[in-house]
Amino acid sequence: MSTSNRQLHSAWGDWWAGTRNTELWWTLAWYDVVLRYRRSMLGPLWLTLSTGALLAGMGPLYAALFKIPIGTFFPHLTLGIIFWTFFTATINDGCNVFINGAQYLKQPGFSPSVLVWRSLARTSLQLAHTIVLYLPVAIWAGIPPSPRMLLFLPGFVVVLVNLHAFTITLGILCARFRDIVQIVSSMLQLLMFLTPVFWFPSSLPGRSHAILYNPLAQLLDIVRLPLLGDAPAPGTIRFLVLFTLMNVGLAAVIYRLSRRHLVYWV
Amino acid sequence: MSHLLLDDVSVEYPIFGAQALSLKNTLTAAATGGRICREAGVTVVRALRDISLELREGDRLGIMGHNGAGKSSLLRVIAGVYPPTRGRIERTGTISSLIDPMLGIEMDATGYENIRLRGLIAGMRLSAIKAITPQIAEFSGLGDYLSIPVRTYSTGMLMRLAFSIATAVHTDILIMDEWMSVGDADFRVQAEERLREVIDNTGILVLASHQTDLIERECNRGIDLSHGAVVQDRPIGPIEPMIRLVSAG
Repeated sequence: MSTSNRQLHSAWGDWWAGTRNTELWWTLAWYDVVLRYRRSMLGPLWLTLSTGALLAGMGPLYAALFKIPIGTFFPHLTLGIIFWTFFTATINDGCNVFINGAQYLKQPGFSPSVLVWRSLARTSLQLAHTIVLYLPVAIWAGIPPSPRMLLFLPGFVVVLVNLHAFTITLGILCARFRDIVQIVSSMLQLLMFLTPVFWFPSSLPGRSHAILYNPLAQLLDIVRLPLLGDAPAPGTIRFLVLFTLMNVGLAAVIYRLSRRHLVYWV
Repeated sequence: MSHLLLDDVSVEYPIFGAQALSLKNTLTAAATGGRICREAGVTVVRALRDISLELREGDRLGIMGHNGAGKSSLLRVIAGVYPPTRGRIERTGTISSLIDPMLGIEMDATGYENIRLRGLIAGMRLSAIKAITPQIAEFSGLGDYLSIPVRTYSTGMLMRLAFSIATAVHTDILIMDEWMSVGDADFRVQAEERLREVIDNTGILVLASHQTDLIERECNRGIDLSHGAVVQDRPIGPIEPMIRLVSAG
């Protein structure tokens, strides 16, 4: 079913129609998470448990390797791994979002943006299961609650906007050129080492600071620093304002150009 | 009110072979002027050619044609899924399709949860789904089975559920690919009755089928498609079977 006179040709109207159908994408995402773990006793808590095990193993080891006090290192690593997992899960899922959703796209009145929001909602639900691990870590490390932590909220919105744009751009490109899926996943592996997920940006020797200007490192900063009680650097904010505009612009252009072809590609 | 207008609609779509689906090959072909990858692997299918149709309230359109004649493509254009490459389509009224009732059925979800999922995918609001869930449950005859995962259902039970959800609401325009028949002898009678009711209540029916007798029974207008173009467009009236009898005898 679709409403009367649906604007078949307006990409923007079509994106908005899918976006406002929150019931649909939220329910799809919810069942994605719930059904996957239905037959296991702990359910989605497995996500919490496995991430917790990873952190417990890596924390002391890498603190010793890097010779950094564990009280400083552990919160940094915890947030680094939790958010990095969220970024990569969203981007990798985003590459396949239209390929896997081909059947849905052939339903009358089904907007592609529903699939984008579904993917984003699913990985956000997974994030909700791992981010709780930060609470005991922060208490253990003695990080005092501070009003700066509220900066996390606008930061997270910026992250969501960018991940939404990534998903649209990559989802469409991957539907047309299937080998981009592999290119993206190997790029992300490389980026993990170029991003201060494990290490501290302050340990970088002088000139190599340029590698911090990769968008994922900046996005990580804007959500991690507030939760550690710091404010993101003005440079990070300037960079992200510009990057977000470009990223959203690119996604909008690609969506507009390919909306009519997408269903034929998948 | 339901109304559907197709004005000179053509649909062409590319079928990408393994070659063209690869970015590397496409870039190489572009950089070398196509000399290295001579076989770009893109086939353009002209699925529909210059189709003009107008359907109004009460019209029952039957679409006939051999395999690959463009029946499914035409159904998808009418559903608004395939945007026409050329031409124009206008539609008034809600539309639903009985083409893929199993889409979105989650095997690990219970019957009730699947009613919710399928209903949402078909474009309903949660509140509306909640209101008709008892009717769907009763019609399916699945009783307590609806509370357990559909993974445990037999094929027949699964089809009952999908059918009960798909036919639960009435829409202005209904699209069908072949006749739907499901279930055991008992349920089949019940399903026929339901389908009858849904079809009688819809403003416009578009039915694609290979069976000429089905189209002649259900439709008042029939088109024959061949290679994506309409080769015959004729009214089907009560007089038609007699003419056939005469010409056959």
